[in-house]
Amino acid sequence: MTLPDDASLVDVAFAACTALARAGETAVLCGGSAASYYVPEVYRSLDIDFVPRVQAARHIVDRALASIGYARAAGGPYVHAHLPYAIELPMGPLAIGREYVSAWRTDHRGELLLHVYTATDVVRDRFLHYWAWGDPMGLDVALAVARAHPDDVDLDAFRRWTDRERAADPSYDAGRVEQFFRLL
Amino acid sequence: MRDDLRPALFGTALRDRVLIRLALSENGLHLRELARQLDASPTAIYRIIMALERAGVVVSRPIGKIRVVLLNRRWHGALELRTLLERLAASYPEVRERAAHSRERPRRIGKPL
Repeated sequence: MTLPDDASLVDVAFAACTALARAGETAVLCGGSAASYYVPEVYRSLDIDFVPRVQAARHIVDRALASIGYARAAGGPYVHAHLPYAIELPMGPLAIGREYVSAWRTDHRGELLLHVYTATDVVRDRFLHYWAWGDPMGLDVALAVARAHPDDVDLDAFRRWTDRERAADPSYDAGRVEQFFRLL
Repeated sequence: MRDDLRPALFGTALRDRVLIRLALSENGLHLRELARQLDASPTAIYRIIMALERAGVVVSRPIGKIRVVLLNRRWHGALELRTLLERLAASYPEVRERAAHSRERPRRIGKPL
């Protein structure tokens, strides 16, 4: 499959996920690229992060991504000769904070597919950037996804998750959770 | 880097010491400071940090013109790892001692040591 020179992050994500799936690897779009998927007008990423579920052998992943024009660069990421997006496959498991992620959303475009974090998990993931490290962009993006997808984001589940994280690690600031809800 | 006869839990004794030193740090450490405190070469420390970063165990973030390395509290096993490393620090008294003498809290500019 040849990607056009003006392919977007989402175009590349669909192509890569499908190529990996055809090679037997279930890879889930996560991190900032998953946020870009839900709120492309708010957050743009040049990194496409897929966490592989199977951890297929490197030569299998190399061959799968080569089929869409991506080659592994020194240091790990897969890069394309013309497109600015780099594909990375960070080590699993798929987890947000202390909790493992075992379900995700799968979208289809014709014969292509994309496994991606649910909107609720993107909110958890981005909020955790703010919660753990004080990254204000993490809070902004979490809020943007929650506002843009009110029917898909389970705020009760989000609140329960923050309670569980704080029970395990009381150093997390409860005030930041309240700040999230206040700003929503 | 000096010889170390202690059995390594995380692959090499230096990697153990890097992780233990980071576990004893509240705010993280600059690579060169980490190398200095562990009597290791910055290159060796850099390689270890890169591998740990790829595994998601540590993160680095820019503070001004330097990059500070710290254990990744977002990692799914962060709490358990920190607890283990703090216990393991008993086997590395020299790392613990240097950490104890390493000042991380704020200090007024110009105040004598």
